[in-house]
Amino acid sequence: MAEEEEYDYTKIPPMDSIEGVAAGAPEDNPRIGIYVCHCGINIKMAVDVDEVMRYAASLPNVVVARHYIFMCSDPGQDLIRKDLAAGTINRVIVASCSPRMHEPTFRKTCSDSGLNPFYYEMANIREHCSWPHGDFISGATEKAKELVKSAVARCTLLEPLEEREVEVTPEVLVIGGGVTGMYAALDIANGGYKVHMVEKEPSIGGHVAQLSRFFPTLERATSLMTPRMIEVGAHPNINLMDYSEVEEIGGYIGNFDVKVKRKPRYIDSEKCKDCTPCIEACPVKDIPDEFNEGLSTRSAIYIPFPFAVPPAYTIDAEHCLLLKEGKCGDATLETIKDGKAVPPCMAACPGAIDFEQKEEIEELTVGTVIVATGYDLVDPRVSAEYKYAEYPNVITSLEFERLLAPSGPTGGKIELNGKEVKDIVFISCVGSRNKQVGNEYCSRVCCMYIAKQAYLAKEQLPDANITVTFQDIRAFGKGFEEFYGDVKLSGVSYMRGLPSEIYKKPGSDRVVIRAENTLLGEPYEREADIVVLGMGLEPNKGVESIINMLKLSKSVDGFLMEAHPKLRPVDTATDGIFIAGCCASPKDITDSIAQGKATASGSLLYLVQLKAKIEPAISQINEEVCIGCGTCAEVCPYGALELDEVIQVMTVNEAVCKGCGGCNSVCPSGAATMKHYRDRQVYAQVEALTERGMHIVELESVVEPVEAPAGAAPEPEEGASPEPEPVAE
Amino acid sequence: MGTLYEDIIDYGGEVFGEEHLETLRECVQCGKCTGGCPSGRNTALRTRRLMQMALVDMREEIFNAPELWFCSTCYTCYERCPKGVKVTDVIRTIRNLAAKEGHMSVPHRMIGVYVMKTGHAVPIGPDQMKLREAVGLESQPPTAQKHKDQLEQVQAIFKATGYDAMIDFDWATMNLKGMDKGGKK
Repeated sequence: MAEEEEYDYTKIPPMDSIEGVAAGAPEDNPRIGIYVCHCGINIKMAVDVDEVMRYAASLPNVVVARHYIFMCSDPGQDLIRKDLAAGTINRVIVASCSPRMHEPTFRKTCSDSGLNPFYYEMANIREHCSWPHGDFISGATEKAKELVKSAVARCTLLEPLEEREVEVTPEVLVIGGGVTGMYAALDIANGGYKVHMVEKEPSIGGHVAQLSRFFPTLERATSLMTPRMIEVGAHPNINLMDYSEVEEIGGYIGNFDVKVKRKPRYIDSEKCKDCTPCIEACPVKDIPDEFNEGLSTRSAIYIPFPFAVPPAYTIDAEHCLLLKEGKCGDATLETIKDGKAVPPCMAACPGAIDFEQKEEIEELTVGTVIVATGYDLVDPRVSAEYKYAEYPNVITSLEFERLLAPSGPTGGKIELNGKEVKDIVFISCVGSRNKQVGNEYCSRVCCMYIAKQAYLAKEQLPDANITVTFQDIRAFGKGFEEFYGDVKLSGVSYMRGLPSEIYKKPGSDRVVIRAENTLLGEPYEREADIVVLGMGLEPNKGVESIINMLKLSKSVDGFLMEAHPKLRPVDTATDGIFIAGCCASPKDITDSIAQGKATASGSLLYLVQLKAKIEPAISQINEEVCIGCGTCAEVCPYGALELDEVIQVMTVNEAVCKGCGGCNSVCPSGAATMKHYRDRQVYAQVEALTERGMHIVELESVVEPVEAPAGAAPEPEEGASPEPEPVAE
Repeated sequence: MGTLYEDIIDYGGEVFGEEHLETLRECVQCGKCTGGCPSGRNTALRTRRLMQMALVDMREEIFNAPELWFCSTCYTCYERCPKGVKVTDVIRTIRNLAAKEGHMSVPHRMIGVYVMKTGHAVPIGPDQMKLREAVGLESQPPTAQKHKDQLEQVQAIFKATGYDAMIDFDWATMNLKGMDKGGKK
């Protein structure tokens, strides 16, 4: 073993090679080529790659060992290609980084040269050696040798596997009809493929339809969104399933079987003339209007907003007296049938209302699924000190958005309960960046929507005092910082420091916020007619059932988890299932659209090929050993295992199995094994690593004191002390 | 009288232009002004704090803050401000507003006394006169300090503009009112 002082990685040449012990082995033997990578200096600085190479050459079945500065580079891969072309080797081991980094690279190198890519094995001597043990060079080199040894043990036993493909149904399910889902659907539909869009509300458009204007350009939201919504509603390739919910999803990439529940509207959209007498006739009028965030009320028969897509009326079964209580006035379902009495809405309607409509289930098969379920505002009551729901002056940012919107309850005029407004205070980061609330993350959009709202408020009320309280301003997007500057120039006052509490001004309708100006270190108070809580975003509650159906994972922040947070932001761990928009993390419209379009591109990748590759390293049942007990099916998270009733053994659905190995570990008879991770392959690897006696000695010293029955003198082992040792030694 | 910010724009705007001073609103309180302030290194001047006090309308506090007068108007902050706030000119405007309302530091008023007495903020003293004579120059250059008739013109301007009243100048003692000759109260 080299002393640490003696190791000088600068003396190691960029490449070298040595013949292995099995150089003269017969052609049909496993003949392994080992390639040790320097990763520039990432590996070389702590692992003596020359020593590892020489050690590798001494291992069984190794024909050649080489080291090179960058194995993943083209000249590096060429070393492998040349050895394969010369017929020198028929197995490949690269000792470099994590398989997550470069296993696909080197598998492709092998398959391009005609070698089955599953004859490739990887020893991770970077993440597992040089990086964590950079200050312990001799140990890191020894560990690298061990890892190479275990790779050789496993590589010798590897079997060739064939990569398989499944057919892909060229249709896509988009869950969620907000801006993200709409842009995903439009791209796929315009590409010529069928899209099924499921939206649980009576209209598509999502939260974006509620907004007044967009930051930072201040364009009107409705004038930009309505044409897109109409395009989705009218697109021949989009099957819009509004007022519907996904009930069930099964299957796998290319072939997801979906059941969609279509809720009854109790109105025949064909006959509905979009007149309004039914609304006036309906006796239930005090239902908080969801679209206006409860700032106004609606009837039980309603259209969510004037530019809804589809432009259809709905009877809300939760509030309609006839549907909820069975009776509206003198009318019941029976009297309607008999023609004796009808409810007021039917009396006012020229014949479009139909209480006989029933819930329907639509069945689909789709190739990919795009989850774009969006967000909910965090419950503003999580920060009780801001007195939401206690003081009518305290409202959420989305409520304020409705006050600014021309389609809102005040026609865009900022007033609360009919009163004029002089002073407005905005509070940032409510429900975000707050461990008490349980949301440590930044919601990303609040800084800018507050800037926009404050700007619009100042524009409408030039004499009003508009104050924005904040802890940091995050104006990171294109045009954001410039917009933030404009907002400040407009006269909006930015005060650093989050208000700590709000109290009602005695003898007045106004409230007072208490805060510190952290830039001066001075506490202050400020009066306001309206306090706007800049609410954070959390995943839409409806996503929970989708998570269960699709077996998706959540990150610690509660949002859906991507396959990789940086490199695969819209993929999930399951092929063919994509996530986009605010269900994955809070984001603005620009980013949501970008992600929506990214999932369209990801889906089209499969649709245009009409086929998808599936993982070959999956479970395999040895039918001769299987007793059909079904233990494996119980643990399988993907539902890939089923009992074959005829021959009474378990079978693997190869398209569904993800190769997690759960069945393998629980199978009582040893019938379930994993291809590419056979028991013997894994055991060989483990044995190679544990050959050193040290571990065994340690184990025995723990076990020894337990088995010392009184009177039974154990046979003294060679070298053991004849006298009994105190246990506590 | 509006808010301090409005007064800065109204009063200073006549000299610098309103847009010039409106940049104050773009201040993000990064502290680059304070960090590089040569005066602040040795004094209590915290330029960022002055900007914030101006923005949150702390009129009395800022007018009575001794550090308002510690700025040497070197314009370092002005050159470096990432948001283009015309920092030094904002400070100069605030000083003018403060002076108008009777808040002016004694050293600054003393400079006024020098101008009253000699026509110069930095008059020539006996040492400089000796130096000039040593190199063959007249003991005094041809300035208002030398020519009494011109000094009288300067004094006439000060009287006409009310500057003498602003700094509380006493024509009898030719000094600030209530001050002895050493400039101490």
